Amino acid sequence: MSARYGMVIDLDLCTGCGSCMVACAAENNVPSLPQSTARTGLTPIVVRKVSNKMAGSARRETFIPIMCAHCEHDTPCVKVCPQQAVEVDKETGIVMQMPQRCLGCRYCMTACPYHARYFNWWDPSWPKGMEKSLNPGVAVRMRGVVEKCNMCHARMHSAKEKAAAAGKREIDPADYIPACVEACPTGAIRFGNLADANDPASKAARSPEAFRLLARLGTEPKLYYKSKEAWVRALAESNPAHGADQSQEVQRG
Amino acid sequence: MKFTRRDLLVWGAGAAAGLVVSPVPWKVLDDVSIWSQNWPWIPQPARGPVEVKQSFCTLCPNGCGLRVRMAGGWPVGVAGVSSHPISRGALCPLGFAAHQLNWHPRRLHAAQHHGEPSSLSEAQAAFAKACGEGSIVIIDGYPGRAASSVLKTFAEKQGGTYRVVTSSESRALAPYEAWIDAPSSSLGYDLENAQTVVSFGAPMLDGWGTPGRFTWLWAERAGGMTDPQLRLIQIDSSFSRTAARAWQWVPIRDGSESALASGLARVLLEQKLVPAHGPIPPIALSEVAAQTGLSADAIQDLARTFVSHLPVLAIAGDNDPAIAALNIVLGSVGARGGIVRRSKNAESYVAADADIPNARAVLIDGSVPWDFAPQTEAEVFRFAAWDGGPSQSDWLLPSPGFLEALTDVPTAPTLSVETYAVAPALVRPPSEVMSIEQFLSVAEPTLIPVDKIIHSRCEELFRKHSGTLYGQEKTPVAKIASVQKLEEEFSKGAVWVDEPSPSGSMRCELKEWPAATPASRVESWTTEWPIAVLPPLATKLYIESNLREAPERRNA
Repeated sequence: MSARYGMVIDLDLCTGCGSCMVACAAENNVPSLPQSTARTGLTPIVVRKVSNKMAGSARRETFIPIMCAHCEHDTPCVKVCPQQAVEVDKETGIVMQMPQRCLGCRYCMTACPYHARYFNWWDPSWPKGMEKSLNPGVAVRMRGVVEKCNMCHARMHSAKEKAAAAGKREIDPADYIPACVEACPTGAIRFGNLADANDPASKAARSPEAFRLLARLGTEPKLYYKSKEAWVRALAESNPAHGADQSQEVQRG
Repeated sequence: MKFTRRDLLVWGAGAAAGLVVSPVPWKVLDDVSIWSQNWPWIPQPARGPVEVKQSFCTLCPNGCGLRVRMAGGWPVGVAGVSSHPISRGALCPLGFAAHQLNWHPRRLHAAQHHGEPSSLSEAQAAFAKACGEGSIVIIDGYPGRAASSVLKTFAEKQGGTYRVVTSSESRALAPYEAWIDAPSSSLGYDLENAQTVVSFGAPMLDGWGTPGRFTWLWAERAGGMTDPQLRLIQIDSSFSRTAARAWQWVPIRDGSESALASGLARVLLEQKLVPAHGPIPPIALSEVAAQTGLSADAIQDLARTFVSHLPVLAIAGDNDPAIAALNIVLGSVGARGGIVRRSKNAESYVAADADIPNARAVLIDGSVPWDFAPQTEAEVFRFAAWDGGPSQSDWLLPSPGFLEALTDVPTAPTLSVETYAVAPALVRPPSEVMSIEQFLSVAEPTLIPVDKIIHSRCEELFRKHSGTLYGQEKTPVAKIASVQKLEEEFSKGAVWVDEPSPSGSMRCELKEWPAATPASRVESWTTEWPIAVLPPLATKLYIESNLREAPERRNA
């Protein structure tokens, strides 16, 4: 039976520490280049701060991690890609990006309603010797292609190999945990198979406090958020690229 | 048939037109792109069998558990250890990229004398000369380690002094020494049993203490709950990350934390909201209101909120006697859910002052935060793995970097129980690198090496038969068969945790209200990070995402 991997992020538990961003970059061999900015850097998961625009003690802030939502239906990036470099994996539901096929036209970046795709402007480089610290399970990020979250696909391959070595067809959920989920110091990010009604992530996604960004577009994103606060849930129909309140602190670049 | 010039032109034009509409140019373009995307000089990940080893982060004194993935003998990824009883799988954001630090461009590979290349042997000769000419001062930033024991012993043998630079979290516990007969290094916060935590500017959810300890407590008992089991009240002059997530944020004027603590104590005592009797703080409520910007009613409401959900624990951002005295008024010192004495054997340390007169040489360990700049006429020998820029040091000596030296991991500053672990050396350091204890053992060969001190500490733990070992399984020390078995468990990443001390074992009496002290502000891990540089990937946090302000002094 095919899985539908997704995430549920409890925004009431996110402290905005940024551990998920650093862990993701380290896992996926994302370089830190001196010329990178908020507009040009590769950040497959980026945490943004949004507020309720109130002042004084009525002010509320929350942190919202933005990443590929792995849209299930009419996936915008898949529809516009002229190279078939993006596809929704039938077995996992993960929106896969194949950099070797990508020609860097960036239609997908324009089409993505979440602005969760990044163009890689430069050849990857590290200070001398630091290439020894790269993750051997993941290729370095090649120049001239579009990048995004692939739910740590290399970890899924490792889990599959481990399952196959044990003579199992299904992977053990404990063996496949994306780096951001593993890094979160409050357990705010829950990852699992949304097609399995008993999976904790699936249960969380069905909670009345759960919502999805821009759900009205009908793309069935598999990235859910959760909050008890109404003003946070109101973010659901906002454009995350500009934040909920269009304030300085959430603008990029 | 004659091939004319006209035929040549027609054939050429046809071929050009055909080429344009054929896939050939696009294929060539694509292949050129792919070829240029894979230049032979583009770095490739190390190859080799991947293995996972357990260790501990020793970049700061919080000692979080690490799961280190190694390939080709190098660490290629770090993650937290979910079975670690304190850090519970969490690391600070910098910890996740710490394995890159050893290749940071500012890594020190050779000794420097006044900024010029030198050698360790020249530094040793200069140090031996200095030791023969006058007194020495040794400064440590991570006390309690086996290496610290070497430093202290050397200082004693030379008739010198051993001083410690402590973190703001440790300094926040210092005022209690005036009222109880115990060193502040023996004290900790019993957060696990507190019902209300009142933070006076301490970044509780942004790098305070061991990452994971309070964040997990908060996530399980408070995060997103309207009536949480654990109330986090953040008294802060700015809407900090912790304030944004707190149950209640109390905005006050910058630097008025001390006055507010005194005012709250006054309300608690005058309105008999607490059983304690003690000196009434000599500050009127109107004066507190003027200083803090809060109304007198708001201060009284806050005092009532404190005692409505006991036990309550006040945590200062730094050394603030008024906040410590407030804890005494609240009955939180020596009580469950308050300030507890975790050890009866803790050593007392003398804090290092930046002003160091009358010394011939000052030796600074690599654990001392780079910001510590001694003001002295003495010859300064500073050990560091990374060069953070101007340091007021005569000698800059390369010391082991991340996971490059065997070290033990003593109890972190804010913990309520004693812990112990051993971090093995997983990576071989560069050839010119020498740890401070190796440097000292050249001058004083009778010093006991670190591995033997760790062995004797393991023997002591084994004899004590107290506490539990958290390894792959949870095992009481009393059930461990031998010291060798204990050491074997430690080498696999086990953590020893002692039994909690019984509450009420500490008496504390306040005879007079402490004088107000100037407040110092603690913002987050960026101000407390002892290492001279940040991992390069830290730019994801403050350049590529605008999530945080750029730290001023760091060279990521």
